Amino acid sequence: MKRLIVSFIVAASAVLCAPRPAAAVLNVVASIPDLADVARHIGGDLVEVKSLATGVEDIHAVPMKPLYAVTLNRADVLLVLGLEAEHAFIPALLEASRNPKIYRDGPGYVDCSVYVLPLEIPTRLDRSLGDQHPMGNPHYNLDPVRMKDAARAIAEGLARNDPDNEATYQRNLKQYVATLDAAIARWQQEAAPLKGKKLVSYHPDLIYFAERFGMESVGTIELRAGVDPTPSHVESLEKMMREQKVHFVIRELQYPAGLAETIAQNTGATLVQLPVMGGGLPQTQDYIAFIDYNLRTMLNAVPGGT
Amino acid sequence: MRIIRGACWLFGVGLVALALQPARADDPSPAQLQQELKAMRAQLQQLQKQMEKQQELIDKLSKQKEVVPAATPAAAAAATPAEEKLKPEVVEQVERDIQPALTAANKTFPSQFNPAIGLIIDTVGSYQEHGGANFEFRTAELGLSASIDPFARGYAILNFGPDEVEAEEAAIVTTSLPYNLTLKGGRFFADFGRLSKFHDHDLPFVNRPIVLDEYVGGESQADGLELSYLTPLSQYVTLTAGAYNKIGGENTRVDNLDPRPFSEFTYLVHPATFIPISDAHSIDLGVTYAYTPKVVSFDFDDTEFLRNGKVRNLGDFELTYRWIPPSQASYRSLVWGTEVLLNHETWNVGSDEATDFKPETAVGLYSYIEPRITRRLYPGFLFQWVQSIDRQSGDTLAYAPYLTVWASEFQRIRMQYQYLDAPGDHESQFFLQWTAIIGSHVHGFRDR
Repeated sequence: MKRLIVSFIVAASAVLCAPRPAAAVLNVVASIPDLADVARHIGGDLVEVKSLATGVEDIHAVPMKPLYAVTLNRADVLLVLGLEAEHAFIPALLEASRNPKIYRDGPGYVDCSVYVLPLEIPTRLDRSLGDQHPMGNPHYNLDPVRMKDAARAIAEGLARNDPDNEATYQRNLKQYVATLDAAIARWQQEAAPLKGKKLVSYHPDLIYFAERFGMESVGTIELRAGVDPTPSHVESLEKMMREQKVHFVIRELQYPAGLAETIAQNTGATLVQLPVMGGGLPQTQDYIAFIDYNLRTMLNAVPGGT
Repeated sequence: MRIIRGACWLFGVGLVALALQPARADDPSPAQLQQELKAMRAQLQQLQKQMEKQQELIDKLSKQKEVVPAATPAAAAAATPAEEKLKPEVVEQVERDIQPALTAANKTFPSQFNPAIGLIIDTVGSYQEHGGANFEFRTAELGLSASIDPFARGYAILNFGPDEVEAEEAAIVTTSLPYNLTLKGGRFFADFGRLSKFHDHDLPFVNRPIVLDEYVGGESQADGLELSYLTPLSQYVTLTAGAYNKIGGENTRVDNLDPRPFSEFTYLVHPATFIPISDAHSIDLGVTYAYTPKVVSFDFDDTEFLRNGKVRNLGDFELTYRWIPPSQASYRSLVWGTEVLLNHETWNVGSDEATDFKPETAVGLYSYIEPRITRRLYPGFLFQWVQSIDRQSGDTLAYAPYLTVWASEFQRIRMQYQYLDAPGDHESQFFLQWTAIIGSHVHGFRDR
């Protein structure tokens, strides 16, 4: 027994004391590809960025792979969308990562929502109202204007962890915001045919996108956020859609297609299928391409939109 | 009255006379007046512009109104030095203005440091061919958790059962040890195998597998100390080592209260890894070895009957295959989980008076498969085969199809049929389980 314990201690000490290569660049891990893309623009060569989600997932149900714990264990900075968007995987993975640097409130934990004005802040918290986000709807990554606020938080987060290069991060931030501003101006013009159009989405994740481009999100296929629809809900939703002449049924790609198709057919609305994160489709590999794709897909579904 | 009316008339005439007086020589000319008016207009316009700019900045900085994006990057960059100078002043003013609201919102209460609280209610209705029907209030499990300080967090699971209240878990876990180490102390579920660490209500089926009940003693509850290490490899590999009074919440063969020599503790080693096959397919593998140098058992009268305790070796091999397509993780998946346990122990097969020690090896396993076919529906099938731990009776065989229906993330109904073929008991069993969560709820890494 003693020999066994001594052998274990010796083996453990050897592994513990093994030298680890020093990191040349800031190791940044983002919860979703959109934040990773912004961080790459702001960090440039000074950062190495990985995203946990690939973009095809439901952000509220990203599979909790143990390998993510290894990725987080080596991270200097963790970028999260915040507003409890990642509640299903980030808190548990953080615990498994054993990296206090990126724990919540640690220097490496960057909540990208700190400057974001959220929509749909609940006035009452109650589980009968579904899977609520107490600080507001977290899907602001679909709003390019709010992503400028996220970019600001990312630049500050990188500078906090790498103060020597603060000026570079701020300069890159300005450049990226200018690029985004130019794209936003173009999108605003292109989105004119969408003004006033009403939409129903599967989950309440399109509200920022709708608001930014002049549309109105009037309901969800889900009974409540995170709660599957009941037949009576679908019936009343279809009735409301006919009355309000809803133009679009949006099926976010991570949700089942069948019901969205049926509702669109029953109500005469146009079914549009959209990713809700960059990387959700091959042609949406960076953030600007992602918003570009979503807007063009919507425009293709309205007369005079193309 | 007449006097007052006369005075008013005189006052009116006087005013008219004053108004009709010719302009004095030092009064400004109409041209001058026009110039002054122009200058005032210009000033007013300038002020108006300045106010508009201030308003824009206030809107932007106070986040009261979203900023309309600038038309071009050049325009965005064309902030004048005066505007730049104005920004900090405006920021300060906005901060001053919203300070009362911030102060009101930031009020603190002593209760803000209270731990997160969640309650799980688990109730089971059952019918067994030979045992009859029963509504079993299984548990109301109160979970508390919070950070203790920068170095540790604490949690407790208090189990309000039908007959007793028990601290099922109450442990301190370090959060900032170096070298990827985590130390856990108190009462907790020892890192033994896979499903023995799950609370009853977290199991994928109604009842804990028979082999875990028989060999481990239900949940792997243990009072002790456990050190866990995440290796610095690119592969996910963890190593856990622990020392406990005993393992198994319902393991009544070993006393949990009295002091004992180190040789009567149970020691555990558990390496585990994760093998990603592709984005959707993966395998979790683990081996646990629990070693008790000397098992000193007690009978129900608290009388020692195994005086010269013998070694107990308990091994566990766990394999969990998962298929979770990332793009459909909310409504499609498949889990195949298997655990094989091996117990090697010396038993007294004689009487208390005339002991006859005999080493025996017993093996048992369970294996289940559970596809997720919609967001709500999880059908599954559980197979079990277990040798009796002391090999003094026959083997037990059981199989159970089941269906879990999640009404939401916080409420679940499960139906299960089980055919049990145990020594002296061959019967069909039916279960209906209803589980709900109130309050704080976390997605644990361990329970994934």
